[in-house]
Amino acid sequence: MGYGELAVTPGPVIATAGLSKDYGADRGLFGLDLEIHAGEVFGFLGPNGAGKSTTMRLLLDLIKPSSGSARVLGLDTSRESLEVRRRVGYLPGDLTLYPKLSGRAVLDYLAELRGGVDGRVRDALAERFGADLDRPVRELSTGNRRKLGLIQAFMHEPEVLILDEPIAGLDPLVQQSFHSLLAEVSAQGRTVFLSSHTLSEVERVTHRLAILRRGRLVVVDSLENLKRVAVQRLEIEFARPVDADEFRGLPGVTEARAEGRTVTLSFEGSVDPVVKAAARHEVRAIHPREDDLEEIFLRYYQESSA
Amino acid sequence: MSWPTARLAFRLRLPAAVSASVGLIAVMAAVGALFPAIGHSIGRISVPKGVSNLLGGADYGTITGWFRSEIAAIYGPLVIGALAITGASAATGGEEEDGVLAVVLAHPVERARLVVSKAAAIGAVVVLIALSTWIGLIVGVALAGGGISIAHMAALAVQLAFFGFATGAVAIALGAANGRRSVATGIAAALAIVGWLISSFAPLLSGVAWLKYLSFYYYYAGHDPLTRGVDILGLVVLGVVTVALIAIAVFGFDRRDLRG
Repeated sequence: MGYGELAVTPGPVIATAGLSKDYGADRGLFGLDLEIHAGEVFGFLGPNGAGKSTTMRLLLDLIKPSSGSARVLGLDTSRESLEVRRRVGYLPGDLTLYPKLSGRAVLDYLAELRGGVDGRVRDALAERFGADLDRPVRELSTGNRRKLGLIQAFMHEPEVLILDEPIAGLDPLVQQSFHSLLAEVSAQGRTVFLSSHTLSEVERVTHRLAILRRGRLVVVDSLENLKRVAVQRLEIEFARPVDADEFRGLPGVTEARAEGRTVTLSFEGSVDPVVKAAARHEVRAIHPREDDLEEIFLRYYQESSA
Repeated sequence: MSWPTARLAFRLRLPAAVSASVGLIAVMAAVGALFPAIGHSIGRISVPKGVSNLLGGADYGTITGWFRSEIAAIYGPLVIGALAITGASAATGGEEEDGVLAVVLAHPVERARLVVSKAAAIGAVVVLIALSTWIGLIVGVALAGGGISIAHMAALAVQLAFFGFATGAVAIALGAANGRRSVATGIAAALAIVGWLISSFAPLLSGVAWLKYLSFYYYYAGHDPLTRGVDILGLVVLGVVTVALIAIAVFGFDRRDLRG
């Protein structure tokens, strides 16, 4: 697949300043400040109702902000929405297409609406995803409909892709194709902003991620940094049951619990005090456990709930 | 105008419009063929004034009266109104509720152009139905024995088309401004029925006779196009109302959040 020259946009490709959409009853999006740069695959994480889709719909001008502003490729998403939409590919989370039309007819219409779509790019994408373009949309499975959604988002080779839950409903093989396509797009300097609540998806493809909760940004960082500051865990298997209280209160230990002959510890910083305390007993095995993204996510979620 | 949108909206409504057209022509042919057999006997039926107004005069003894009552009074506006309302509601509120518009409006198309294009497609459906009504009248009147000029039959079709434009525009305005298919269909249909009742009954009640001027139906049939030809003033009123309603649709749709 060939991609044309990218127009260089100085500054962040996506930038929001105090972007808010207040639906009342503490629902919506509140004061989002975010910057996403060229070539990034940026993950947007959060539980259902956190404000991920709302953010994306604001960027496409499908809904109007209560306050704040957003720019995509340097363009104001409200005043210059038409140009933004010309240069962005979007996959809605809850994708619906004309049920009576075939996939090909739907893509033909959307290509005509957009203009400048290279049919060869569309065909290559269809082949890559194994999309069935000849059956009516109403006869397609959810996964096959999502493939059409991905094709329409990518077929005009946009500079920015805004993808809401892109992997939902795709089988593992298509997920693999999608991940490799994201890598290619990113290598070409294009920017991908994708949301998910399936954490393993984001872990595999994103450079940086943001966690959103109840419409508020909790953290933005690279996966590496999030893991670096993550709480470490140890599972220590003793010859006989040991009281978890012996570990509580040790420097750096944030949590200790005993289950049978195994004590599970969460700690920050040096492991030395833990090892020395464990050495007072007969230790059968020590299993270090790295925080995975889900645990990081859940901790941020819980911290901000508190 | 977004031509791809107008073409698609028309294409999606074409099967229903073609079925309705074929049905209209068939019914009008059957109505015409029946007249020689029953026209003289049914012509003696006497009905109360209110009912006769509802039935376009209920003058069943003449070919003009027969078609005015059988086709022009109820069947024609019912078919064209139903197709205009359901088509307009589905193309606006329906597509929005289904979530299709979230994909469409992520493309570089202005909301105003989208609304105007859908309105144009519904207008084309209305023209198709009106044309079929004209063809059906020509066939039916010929089978009945003749007596209505082609021009007067064309006048009825033109009046009917403008009635369809205005009725469809009500549904477009409601669907675009509100984003709900059921609201657009329900209110537009209710207004059409109320308009028909007002146009029939208001003239019979002193003091509220003026209410007939609020009815699209009055501007469609009040002038009796099968006898007197085109009513330019009626067409102007229906045309201006249509344009105003489309403007309201554009204004309402442009300034609100998309549902879903």
